[in-house]
Amino acid sequence: MAWRGLKKLLIANRGEIALRIIRSARLMGLKTVAVYSDADAGSAHAAAADEARLIGPAEAALSYLNIEAIIAAAKSSGADAIHPGYGFLSERPEFARAVKKAGIIFVGPSAEVMAALGDKLAARRLAAQIGVPTVPGSEIAGADAARSFAGQAGFPILIKAVAGGGGRGMRVVADQSQLDAALEAAAREAKAAFGDGRIFLEKYLARPRHVEVQVMGDEHGKLVALGERECSIQRRHQKIIEESPAPGLPDATRERMIEAAIRLARAAGYRSAGTVEFLVEGNDFYFLEVNARLQVEHPVTELRFGCDLVAEQLRIAAGEHVTEPRAPRGAAIECRIYAEDAARDFWPATGRVEHLNLPAGPGVRVDTHLRPGTPISAYYDGLLVKVISAGETREDARRRMVLALGEFALLGVTNTAAFLRDVVDSSAFAEAKLTTGFLHNFFPSWQPPEHGLEAALIAAVLVADGAFSPASRPSDSQPAHDARSPWDDLKGFNLWSRR
Amino acid sequence: MRLRNPGDGREFTVELLSHQNNSAKVRIDGRELHAGVDPLPDGGAMLSVGAGRMRTYAIRRGDSILIAIGPYQFELIMLEGRAARAVHQFAAPEVVAPMPGKVLEVLVKEGDQVEAGQPLLVMEAMKMETTLAAEGRAIVGKVRVAAGQMVGHGDVLIELTPAASPSPSESAPPDP
Repeated sequence: MAWRGLKKLLIANRGEIALRIIRSARLMGLKTVAVYSDADAGSAHAAAADEARLIGPAEAALSYLNIEAIIAAAKSSGADAIHPGYGFLSERPEFARAVKKAGIIFVGPSAEVMAALGDKLAARRLAAQIGVPTVPGSEIAGADAARSFAGQAGFPILIKAVAGGGGRGMRVVADQSQLDAALEAAAREAKAAFGDGRIFLEKYLARPRHVEVQVMGDEHGKLVALGERECSIQRRHQKIIEESPAPGLPDATRERMIEAAIRLARAAGYRSAGTVEFLVEGNDFYFLEVNARLQVEHPVTELRFGCDLVAEQLRIAAGEHVTEPRAPRGAAIECRIYAEDAARDFWPATGRVEHLNLPAGPGVRVDTHLRPGTPISAYYDGLLVKVISAGETREDARRRMVLALGEFALLGVTNTAAFLRDVVDSSAFAEAKLTTGFLHNFFPSWQPPEHGLEAALIAAVLVADGAFSPASRPSDSQPAHDARSPWDDLKGFNLWSRR
Repeated sequence: MRLRNPGDGREFTVELLSHQNNSAKVRIDGRELHAGVDPLPDGGAMLSVGAGRMRTYAIRRGDSILIAIGPYQFELIMLEGRAARAVHQFAAPEVVAPMPGKVLEVLVKEGDQVEAGQPLLVMEAMKMETTLAAEGRAIVGKVRVAAGQMVGHGDVLIELTPAASPSPSESAPPDP
C-alpha cells in the first residue's frame, strides 16, 4: 500500500482503547508505540505494543495529558502518526496542532475543525445556520444571565461545560436555590477537567432519548454515515449501555437525523471518525454536540456494519478514500463494565484483579485491558470491560448479552457487571422503554439478589475457615510455579482444593 | 463468625458446621444450609445452594472478604478480632472517604463549629466531584488531610465532636 509515510503509530492513550487501536494498527501493517505512566508500568497496552515509552507519573495531567512528553516520545521512537483514542487529549485542538507542527500525522479531524466543534456554542450556531434543530439554550456570562434564562425556560435546567464531554462538568439544577452553587461547581469542574471553565445552559428535556449518528469522512470531501446508536441508558449523564439500531425509531426520523448529521459534518469540513449526538423526543430531534473522535461505543457500529472503524481511520489518515459502508445487519448491544458499586450510588471502586472470567462465544466481543493482577487505581476513568453482543434481532443480541454477562466474573474490584446483567434481563429493557431517565425510573435502588448474598455468606465462612492462611498461597506451596507466573498473584480460593 | 453486609448494614452470624467430600454444612442465623463445593482448577469453586449452582471466587482483604458469585459481587466485613477497629471507625464521629480519590478542597479548620448539611470537604474521584457534608451539628477536631492529597476508601479525613451531645460515644451516627 502506498501510504504516505505511515509506518509507525503512537497511541496516546491507555486501557482497553489503546489495546484495541494497537490491534487495528497491526492489521494495517504498522509498528506501534505505547505510552504509559508510572501507574501503568506493566499494563496490558504497554506490553502489547512493539515499543513502550514512559511519559510521566500517575497523575494524568503530568502523563497522558502531557502534550510535550507525548510528542517527545513520538519523535524519539520515530512514530509518524498519533492516534489519541477517546478522552485525554483526543479532543484538544492544541494537541492536534502540536502533533501537526511536529510533522506527525494526527489520526482524527484537523485542529481547526476540532476547535470549531469542540466549542459547543460554536457548534450549535453552525447547526442553527444550516437548519439543524438545537435544544433551546443560551450562552451565560454569569449568574444574572443564568437566572434570566432559567426565568424564561423554567427549571430544571442543565449546566454544561463549553469544552465538556462524557457527562463531565454537567449538572442538572432543579430550582433557583441550587443555581449559584451549581454554577460555581460546574465551572470549577470544567476548569479542572478541560482547562476551560466556560459553561452554558440549556433547557432540560423531560423524557428525551439520546441517539447519535456515526460519520466518517476523508480529506477528499467524501462523508458517509454508519447508522445510529441509541445511548439513552446513562448514570451521571454517562452512557453505560448502547445499541444499534435505535429501537422503535421511525425510519423517517432516522433518515432525517442521518441527513442532518452528514450536512453538519460537511459544513464543518469533517475528516476521520466522528459522532453527531442528538436528543430525540417523539419524532423530533435536537442537535446536541459533535464528538470529534472515536467513541467508546464504536464497536456496536462495527458489529452491525462488519467494519473496523480504527483501520478505516488509519486508511483515511494515510490519504485514502473512505470506504462505502455495506448494508447493516441485525442488532448489536454494548455494556460498559465500570469499577463502581451499583448498589451504592455508583461510587467509584479501586482494587486489583484477583480473578477474571471473561465471556466468549458466537456474537460476543469483549474489549478489555484487564489481566489477573491488574491494579485499578483512582487516577483514571473506571471503564474495565466492554462486552458487545450481536444478533439477527435485538432480542437475539439482548439474550446473548444476558448470558455473556452471566459468564462474567471479576474478583477484587467492585464492578457493574451484575447490575448490567439485571438491566438487560429486565422487561423494561426488553420492551425498549428507553429514555435518559431509564435507570432512575426502573432501577432506582438496585441490590444483588438475596440468594446471592446467602451463597456469599457460605463462601465467606469457607474462606475464613483458616485454609487461606499465607501457607496455602501458591507461591509458598507450589514451588513448581515460575517465580513470576501470573498465577502467583491469585492468592485466593485454594481452600477448595484442600484434600 | 459475625459478618456485616455494608450495602444494607445487616449483620449475620455464620458458622461452618462441617466441610468434607465437596460438601459443606453451614448455619446462618440459626438456619442450617447444605452447599455443594466443587473445586475448580483456577482456584474457584462451583458452589451449589438449593437449585443454584454458581461459579464462585473469594478472597480475604483486610477486615473484609470479597466474594464473586458469577457476576454478582459481595464484600462482607468481619466483625471480630481486627474488625473491631473498623467497627469503631464507623461509629466514631469522623468524616471518612466514601471512595478513593483526591481531596480538592478542605472547607473547615480545627475548632470550627459546623451545622448539619454544611459542606466540609470537596473530593474528586475519576473526575467527578463529591462534597462531604456534616451529618449533624459538630465541632471540627483534627483535619487529617490537605488539598491535593490522594486518599483511599475509608480513610479518616476530618475528626468531629458532636456539639449537641455531652459524650461523643453516645451519639454514634447511623451507618453510612
